[in-house]
Parts: sequence; C-alpha cells; structure tokens
Amino acid sequence: MIEVAGLHKQFGENVHALAGIDLTVQPGEVVCLIGPSGSGKSTLLRTINFLETPTSGTVQVDGDRVGFHEGNARQRRMNGREIAAQRAEIGMVFQGFYLWPHKTALENIILGLVEVRGMSTQKAARIGHELMKKVELGEKMEAYPEHLSGGQRQRVAIARALAMNPKVMLFDEPTSALDPELVGEVLAVMEKVASEGMTMLVATHEMGFARRVADRVVFMDQGRIVEQGVPEAIFGNPQHERLKRFLARILV
Amino acid sequence: MGDAMTIDFSMVIPYLPILFKAAGVTIVITLLSQAIGTVLGFFLALGRMSNIGVLRGVVWTYVLIFRGTPMLLHLFFVYYAAPAFGVTLDPFPAAIIAMSLSTTAYNCEILRAGLQAVHHGQIEAAQAVGMTWPRILRTVVLPQALRVIIVPYMTNFISHTKGSSLASVITVPELMLTAQMIYSSTYRAIEILTAAGAIYLLLTSSLTILQLWFERLLRYDERGLSNRRRRQLLLAVDSNG
Repeated sequence: MIEVAGLHKQFGENVHALAGIDLTVQPGEVVCLIGPSGSGKSTLLRTINFLETPTSGTVQVDGDRVGFHEGNARQRRMNGREIAAQRAEIGMVFQGFYLWPHKTALENIILGLVEVRGMSTQKAARIGHELMKKVELGEKMEAYPEHLSGGQRQRVAIARALAMNPKVMLFDEPTSALDPELVGEVLAVMEKVASEGMTMLVATHEMGFARRVADRVVFMDQGRIVEQGVPEAIFGNPQHERLKRFLARILV
Repeated sequence: MGDAMTIDFSMVIPYLPILFKAAGVTIVITLLSQAIGTVLGFFLALGRMSNIGVLRGVVWTYVLIFRGTPMLLHLFFVYYAAPAFGVTLDPFPAAIIAMSLSTTAYNCEILRAGLQAVHHGQIEAAQAVGMTWPRILRTVVLPQALRVIIVPYMTNFISHTKGSSLASVITVPELMLTAQMIYSSTYRAIEILTAAGAIYLLLTSSLTILQLWFERLLRYDERGLSNRRRRQLLLAVDSNG
C-alpha cells in the first residue's frame, strides 16, 4: 500500500534527515516507527504525503507515485491540484492536533468532505456524526477546539482524517503532546481504527502500543532504518547496539 | 470688539447643504481608495508571503516607499508630475490614485500580519485533507486572519478618512477644501471648522461602530452556531432561538 524506495531528504547542506529509506507497508498492516528524536520519523511521514519534497527516491501509495508524474525521460512535479487530490487519499494526524479553532468539532471533521469531495453539508454531517460517536465524542459535536482537552482534540483530528476515507493513515507522534492521563483515550481510538483493517504508519514513543497493536516495528536512527521486525523480536531480542541502547533508555 | 469675535453657530445652517455635499466627496474618495487599497493590499500581502524572492523584494520595496513617504507628497506627485509622463489627470482621479497607492502599503502590512498569524500547522492540516491553496485561504486562513486584522485595519481606515482632507491641496472639492473656501469668504473659521470637524467625527465614529459590530461578528465561539447552520449540521435546534 505504501512503497518507499531510496528516499533521501536533505535540509540545506548538512542536515540529512532521511538517508536512504526503503520501506513497504502492506494493505491492512500497522507499522510503528520508533527511534530517538531527530531520527527522521516525522520527515518520513511528511514526505509520504508530500508535505516535504523528497531530495531523491520515490514514494508510492496504492501504486501511484506521490508528487510526481513519471515521464519517459524525466519526472515532472505535480501541480497543486493534483497533489491535493493525492493527499485526500492519505490521512494524517499531527503531534500538535492542528484543529481549526474557528470551527466546531463537527465542522472540523466535515470540512474536507464539503470542500474537497463536494459533498452537501447535510450528507457530510451524517458521516461526521458517525465519526464523532466512533471517537467517543458524540456529546462534543458543537464544541470549539479551545473547549476540548488535548486527548479530545486529537480524537477529533483522527476523525477528521478518517472522514476522507483514506487508503492509509499516517500518525506523527499523536500522543507526544498530551498529558500522560490523556494518552490512553487516543491510543484506544487508534487501536479501534487498526482493528478495522486500516493501513497505518505510526511514529510513536508509546512502546506499549507498538507492542500490542503493531504488525511490525521499524527502528530508525540518523535517517536510516536500522532494524525492523515483529514487536516480539524488536522488543524481546534486539540485534543492533543502537536499538538496544535506545530501548534501554526508554524502557526503564 | 467687532462682529467677528461673536460666535454664532446658526450662521452655519445655510452652508450645511454645501458641507454635506463636500462630505459626500470625502466619503467617495475615502471608500473608493480604501476599497482599491484593500484589494491591492491583499494581493501584495500574498506576494510578500510568496516563495518567489523577486516578488517579495518588489512588494517590500513598494511598502518601504509608500509607507515611508507622506500621502501629501503622493498627491502632489500624481497630480503635478503626471503631465511630465504625458498624462494629465483631473484632481479627482489623481486623488484616487495617490490615496490608493498610500493606503495599499498599509493594508498590505496589516493583512500580512493577519494571514501570518494563522499557525502553519493548521495550513498543513488543511493540505493533508486535500485542500488546495485557494480553498485553504478561504476556509481556514481568512476567517481567522480577520480577527487579527480587524482592529489595525479599521484604525488605518479611520486614519485614511481623516487623511483624505489632504486631497484639498490638489483642489478636490472635499470637506476640508470646502470648509476653507467658506470661511475665507465669511471669516467664520471657528463655526465652519467646528461644523467640518463634527462631520469628520460623524464619519469616523460610524467606522468605529462598524468595527465594534465586526468584532462581535467574529466572536463566533461565544455566539455559537446559528439555527440555520445547526439544521444543516443535523444538530438539535433550540426552539427559543
């Protein structure tokens, strides 16, 4: 479903955020990205939906090259409309939630349906109501984001991404900005989404979640994939020194 | 102790129709130039935020020049210097052009500040659901930017209304010039200037009230959704509202 090949991303001269990533995510698979801050997890997710332009390498989602037309001789960057159409198929959840503060929770969820899919407000609202219930916020449809807790905001953000009925969902450290007691409610929603067969790529520091939900865990460091495998192998029998050190640091 | 020292506001009454007509000219040149300046300022603000360096540079220079020099100078320049370029302008169009050039520079900066106040993450979130830039601008950026913009924008608008009096120097028959003409023939400066001042105050207070109204309109979260909107969103409608 997601196919990343030889992906490099450089910021300026010296910062090599991604230094050659090859990664395939199968339909319905849940892959957790772990690794220290600055290891490139975020950049990888942001490059997959073209919020960052790759320096080199390719990203494919559901068989389509993201961000570029494959020409005979050379690739051509897509225009804004084409890129937007691709992004509509790729759900993204951010660490900072980024709900639109001038819209109610329900309006946040349906804006994409109305503006991008051209759906009537009523029809979109019907979908929005369902999703609000799914993320356990049926009582908060009219609430503005500033009146919601961090955990509630992130659940609305997940519903907003799901509303577009995306082929894959990308989660960029979705619980890192939350108070510890609010992490569980967000992870529970993500677990529900995973159990319904969504293809998910999740950058996270929640090792419990990775162990429980992931089909595969990918450890990144310094812009590279250092080790990957089923959770039991990664957490129970890590091979690389860097992964061992990383796990020792976080699993106290 | 001559007659000139006696203040008698009733002498203004016969001149009121002329003063109101002049106020009409003030309103027209102010509104027209402010409207032009808002549209141009908006596009310049977008240019100032563009990732094309040359465009940013051009806009920056424009603002530097037109915000950094007096509008009085712009008026003289457009009116008296235009013939040197083979164009002769009547006072009215010259005033519109000069006043637009000036207020565009201010509006550009005010609008830019508002547009840039919207957190970049919100724009990325809109991109992530597949929205194109014009849609993002309309549905995500502008509604929030307006809240930031409204106070400085209206402040500039009010300032621009008063600044329109400068058009008197190129003989646009607006309120200030008309007042001057009346008191130079009647020697009743106090009465006429007071009347003109009152009319300016009336105009600027209307803008102040408009600003309050806008500010309340933009406090959407305190007001809640309208019943019409609630019906669209399939939410329960409050029967009292």
